[in-house]
Amino acid sequence: MLVRIGLLTEGGYPYVSGDARLWCDRLVRGLGQHEFDVYAFSRSQAEEDEGWVPLPPQVSRVRTAPLWTSEDDGVVYGRRARRRFTEHYAELAAALCTADPAPAGTRSDAGTAEAPGVPHQADRFANALYGLAELAREEGGLAAALRSEAAVRALECACRAPGAQRPAREARVPDLLTVAAHLERALRPLTLDWYEENGLGAVDLCHAASGGTAALPGLLARHFFGVPLLVTEYGVRLRRHYLTRPDSSPAVRSLLAAFHGRLAAEIYRQAAFVTPGNTHARRWQERCGADRTKLRTVYPGMDAAPFAEVGESQASADPHTLVWVGRVEPAKDLVSLLHAFAEIRKQEPGTRLRIVGGPAGPEGEAYLGHCRMLAAQLFPDEAEGPHAVGDNPVSFEEIGGPELPTPADAYAAGAVTVLSSVVEGFPVRLVEAMLCGRATVSTDVGAVVEVIGGTGLVVPPRNPRALAEACVSLLRDPERRERLGAAARARALELFTVEQNIAAFHGLYLETVARTPVRRLPLDRTGVPRPFASPAEAHVPGHWTDPAPRPVPRWAAPEQVPVTEAAR
Amino acid sequence: MTDLSAPAREPGTPAPRRGADPVKALLHRHRELCETAVDPLEIAAGLEAHGVTDRTAARFRHRDVFSLAEELYARANHHTDAPPAAPPAPAPRTTWAVLTLLPGLLCLATLVALRHTGGQTRLLTAAAGALAVHLSLRAALRRGPLSGPRCPGTALPVCWLVAHALLGEGLLRAALSGGPDTPPTGADWPLTAATLAALALACAPAAWTTHLFRTRTHRRLTASRALEDFATSVRPLLLGTVALQLLAVAALTLLTATLLDEAPALGTTLTLGALLHLSRLLTVHGFTHAPRVILTATALTQAAALAAVFAARLPGLAALATPVETLVTEGTPAALPALTCGAAACVLLLHAARRLTRASAHAHAEARR
Repeated sequence: MLVRIGLLTEGGYPYVSGDARLWCDRLVRGLGQHEFDVYAFSRSQAEEDEGWVPLPPQVSRVRTAPLWTSEDDGVVYGRRARRRFTEHYAELAAALCTADPAPAGTRSDAGTAEAPGVPHQADRFANALYGLAELAREEGGLAAALRSEAAVRALECACRAPGAQRPAREARVPDLLTVAAHLERALRPLTLDWYEENGLGAVDLCHAASGGTAALPGLLARHFFGVPLLVTEYGVRLRRHYLTRPDSSPAVRSLLAAFHGRLAAEIYRQAAFVTPGNTHARRWQERCGADRTKLRTVYPGMDAAPFAEVGESQASADPHTLVWVGRVEPAKDLVSLLHAFAEIRKQEPGTRLRIVGGPAGPEGEAYLGHCRMLAAQLFPDEAEGPHAVGDNPVSFEEIGGPELPTPADAYAAGAVTVLSSVVEGFPVRLVEAMLCGRATVSTDVGAVVEVIGGTGLVVPPRNPRALAEACVSLLRDPERRERLGAAARARALELFTVEQNIAAFHGLYLETVARTPVRRLPLDRTGVPRPFASPAEAHVPGHWTDPAPRPVPRWAAPEQVPVTEAAR
Repeated sequence: MTDLSAPAREPGTPAPRRGADPVKALLHRHRELCETAVDPLEIAAGLEAHGVTDRTAARFRHRDVFSLAEELYARANHHTDAPPAAPPAPAPRTTWAVLTLLPGLLCLATLVALRHTGGQTRLLTAAAGALAVHLSLRAALRRGPLSGPRCPGTALPVCWLVAHALLGEGLLRAALSGGPDTPPTGADWPLTAATLAALALACAPAAWTTHLFRTRTHRRLTASRALEDFATSVRPLLLGTVALQLLAVAALTLLTATLLDEAPALGTTLTLGALLHLSRLLTVHGFTHAPRVILTATALTQAAALAAVFAARLPGLAALATPVETLVTEGTPAALPALTCGAAACVLLLHAARRLTRASAHAHAEARR
């Protein structure tokens, strides 16, 4: 069955320099039987200038919009439209300023804890958002209105209203301006002309490649046309927002955090499926109010082909060499690795350590210099005999040289691969090592434990002695190395290949479409409806565990106890 | 709270450095993060960036990082510091300070050169001077406080207004007396060159007053708590800026009149100077519509008055020239540009007093900083 998928990306896929380009490209190429419409936001002029990657024929249409600039359509609101805008914007601002009565994560009883007559904050936020979107779709001119004084004034009113949170109450005029400008940027997707019958209304499902801004068009398509939404998040947008927040005042941070939090909650609420890239992302999504039944962890896929040759044979591995591969930066904690290696050398004097990878940015450059110096201090150069030229047991190399042309060669050079990071997201290097069939020793950070799953050794971070002991035990036991390496390769081939990633999304697409009511009859070329072209709907409106009243015989109904009785 | 989950240690090994309350040490270590955070999730994100995982949180007897962050958030004493010091307003740059002086000096030099040349050379000098002034004016409006968004459709009206200030008075007088019979050089069609020089020189004070307005508004913006406070504090600032510019133009008019040995045309120069300054001030802050409309309307009015005088020569249309004739005979020929420009400047001042006192008008400038 052919599904038309609207792929929503932000600073990603069709652009050459995009973040998630590789993943989306593999997905689109892997699902040649479906049709893709790509709706992409660009992040900068430079990104637009660099152009697109070559697109396969299944991409039938690409529409782009810049997020870094906004075009005024010259529409000036009349009195009625202005009042409508002010109403919705004030509602949005009020939803941001007021404390959420049900804190995230404890939403299960949120509906019952609510005082009657006060709409839930999430509903308030969603209504205001859709109100603004409807206004933009009917009248246009939202970009200018979001920048207008009316918007700033509405924000001020909301901040000064009773019940506003403390940081919001203390907002000053520059804070209000900053928040208004940020909201204008964040709501730019509302002003686009994508929400038409032959635009996003024509796709069968929307797949947002990240949360936040990219998922906003999907949210609106769902609101206007009932198109189901699938959201993939490899890194949770809300968390990234917290980490990249500018050093602004508490008022700005509190209001923007509220906006991003409410937006994420609304996206999770409306999405048919949410696919986190690992358990860490999944925990954040649950925390932000995502329903557990909608979550499906889909691990990022890696191309296993370059590592196949190394993975099949153990011949080239030097049994006395440890390898570290990655980009050199302080978060990788190479200092701790070097100290651990000093410990290893005490017990296994012939061991060598190869550190493979270039520095990341100027900070990484300084860190690499520091590590080189430390290595030179800890380990004197040594030679085989009195007449040979000496060499340091720790070598710093880069991939792409004559000795190590590809990453696979780097992993192949050592018997054990070490990972010493203190901070890590999804450990791509660890998966590569697993695909190469190498025994690994890694620190317990990020998604490492989840990825390795017992096919390698894991030690606490910032613990050189534990790291050294684990390495020595592996160096002394070739059989165990081989066993762990084979298990790791089998696990990686099972879980982290491109094929499993594509198959998972293919299944999710079909499941999503199957659960959605058919919006228009599939016609054949002559305009006659085709029977059985769309699957029977397996969709029950509402949630089956909802505490909604169900027909119950009178004798089985719980006895109504008057409130006054209970109070006595 | 004692750490019961710690594994039993062999006797003899020193106890780990951990007090009765492990969370307290963590709170101390991440004190800045915890005190400035606006919600527990922010602390959770910050802790994770420092390598704290759920297993670390378990050592603090918490289920996950989120609940640890909640405890930290609850225990930290949140203080709202004084607002962070606002970034300093941009200091004046020598580049634009010199650039804004150029049009006036070039214009003055051209006018002086025109006095001492004649015939073919004079024509060439005038053309070269006009080109030089035009280029320097463009450069001056490109950077510094006078730079703003492009505002198409204003160049022509501005040219007309300036040309009218230069030639209009003589042309009107000649037209009313049946002329003009000579090109604009002779005695019956005099040029008011001092006005032109004064206006060109006024670029420099205009840049400085705009710069002053901007730095002062920036200061007011960071200091004010409510939008209403901001509006009331900016209004006198705007009036002061315009008054300062008018004073500067008046001084420059007197100066150039003395230098070029002409009678100072204060009325024309002051009103036109105010009109141009206000329209630039609005354009700089992103309001391009009103200046365009007002400038075009003023130019059209002046053109219509001149056209009426010439049209009155046709048989039967003599009445057309009556209003202008009355104006000139009752007052001076300078009354026409002074009245039209003055009215336009008043309208723009009212408009600016409404628009530039809004905080959102300065949001763009703040964002660019």
